[in-house]
Amino acid sequence: MNHQAPVRRVLRLLGACALLTGWLAAAAPAALASPATHQATGYLRLAHLSPNTPPVDVYLYSVGNSNAMVVVHHVAYGTVSTYQTVPVGDYTVAMRGAGKPSSSPPVLSTTVKIQAGHAYTVAGVGPAAGLRLAVLNDTLTTPKGRSLVRVIQASLKEKKVTVMDGSKALASNLAFGSVTSYVSVAPGTADIKAAGGTMSTSKSVGLPADTTHTIVVLDDPGHLTIDPLTDAAGSNLLPSGGTATGFGGMAPRPGSSPLPWAAATAFGALVAVAAATRLRGRRRSWKARGSHAR
Amino acid sequence: MGLTSRGPRPSGPRLADAGAGTAPARRKHRRPHLSLLALVGRPAVVAAGIGVVLAGSGVAGLLMASHRGYTPPRVGPVKPVLAPAGRPQTPVPQTSAHASAPVSLTIPSIGVRSRLVRLGITKSGALQVPATTTVAGWYTGSPRPGAIGSSVIVGHVDSSTGPGIFYRLHLLHPSNLIYVRQKDGRLAVFRVNSVHQYTKRGFPTVKVYGPAPTPQLRLITCGGTFDVQTGHYLSNIVVYATMAS
Repeated sequence: MNHQAPVRRVLRLLGACALLTGWLAAAAPAALASPATHQATGYLRLAHLSPNTPPVDVYLYSVGNSNAMVVVHHVAYGTVSTYQTVPVGDYTVAMRGAGKPSSSPPVLSTTVKIQAGHAYTVAGVGPAAGLRLAVLNDTLTTPKGRSLVRVIQASLKEKKVTVMDGSKALASNLAFGSVTSYVSVAPGTADIKAAGGTMSTSKSVGLPADTTHTIVVLDDPGHLTIDPLTDAAGSNLLPSGGTATGFGGMAPRPGSSPLPWAAATAFGALVAVAAATRLRGRRRSWKARGSHAR
Repeated sequence: MGLTSRGPRPSGPRLADAGAGTAPARRKHRRPHLSLLALVGRPAVVAAGIGVVLAGSGVAGLLMASHRGYTPPRVGPVKPVLAPAGRPQTPVPQTSAHASAPVSLTIPSIGVRSRLVRLGITKSGALQVPATTTVAGWYTGSPRPGAIGSSVIVGHVDSSTGPGIFYRLHLLHPSNLIYVRQKDGRLAVFRVNSVHQYTKRGFPTVKVYGPAPTPQLRLITCGGTFDVQTGHYLSNIVVYATMAS
């Protein structure tokens, strides 16, 4: 019927509007900068813990590459390097007598596999005659609010050493060249005592919560000594998730697209005009009919 | 306009009108009365009404759409900030007792110089943020900058009207230097390793806040898309730095 035509037109226009709006919404920019690629890394430190072995040069090779990645010169007994950050992969650690050419055959070598986020200590241990390279897995994470401690016994003068944290034994009759596993202790300042058959020593060591430590027992000419190392430290409380650090004052925000609104306006005006035209036409016809009847 | 062009309005009730005994010819031409029911029979009037309402809401929408848009203020170039003078903390420590509390932060490459406020944890377990957008803060639960572990420093990328202290954090590049002045006057110097953007949903909590065997620094601010509905950015920018030896 004739009077339904504008309604149909309305529907058609509304449909077009809906289509347009949908398309605009779909085309909204959602591009986000992708995070930069980041090579995974782990940590490695080197130690010389063989009392009667003279100083050495320590070489670190990435497996399959004959050029050393790191060379630490003149590493003497009792030295523990800081952790080096190294890319994940397989490595060879080689020791040569201090000052020996890098082309000379190494006295000792071992391989170590570095995994992402993990830490390792490669230590020359044992007597000079039986020197070996030990690869130790270092622990970074503690039970919540605790401190972890382990002991490396590197004293040749005292073949067996007992290490106490107050009244708690961290190591009992630990043989020269051995390592304990980590022991969980209450955080605080610990009075660490190391005692062999004849000699003993003690040291006050800070063991804060959420830290891991290695206590190294060393020969100092004539007596024992303790070298306390911090292996890792964490936060007291791990915050959950990210941070709310912005209020949007520097984020440009385009107003919502005016197109659908403009279309609605145009369409509404169109419908109104069409209806008005039709009404006027009809009114004229009534008037015409009315005058005719009179 | 459609409404005004309608025929003459009846002044009284229909019955009275009929009872008045109007001429049959005239009654024949009168259109039905203006009531909701009567409107159903007049599609042109309905269409006109819809048209006017649509046009009106369209105009209102246009006004709102233009009002909701926001253009941030222009920000000048990086203000030159000199690297602070002082004795760097060397060598890299092997125990955690080597750093005193941090007091200020300087990042010359992006013009940042700020004192460091103290931050804790909110009731919901999230990291506190500085109360103002112009200063950075150190999370006191994390290791001190320069001590072993990942020290966490947080700052705002912007306020609701302009840039915050970490507005340019995402522009840092590997090898840029970061200086933290300690209470005893010494400096902990860090070198940027990498800059990452994470969605807050996929935030790698342990990687960012977790334990580390070397002195490291994490600088955190917001980034990515700003969600107008929630008033929050959807992502975080994290700068990873390690102590320069």
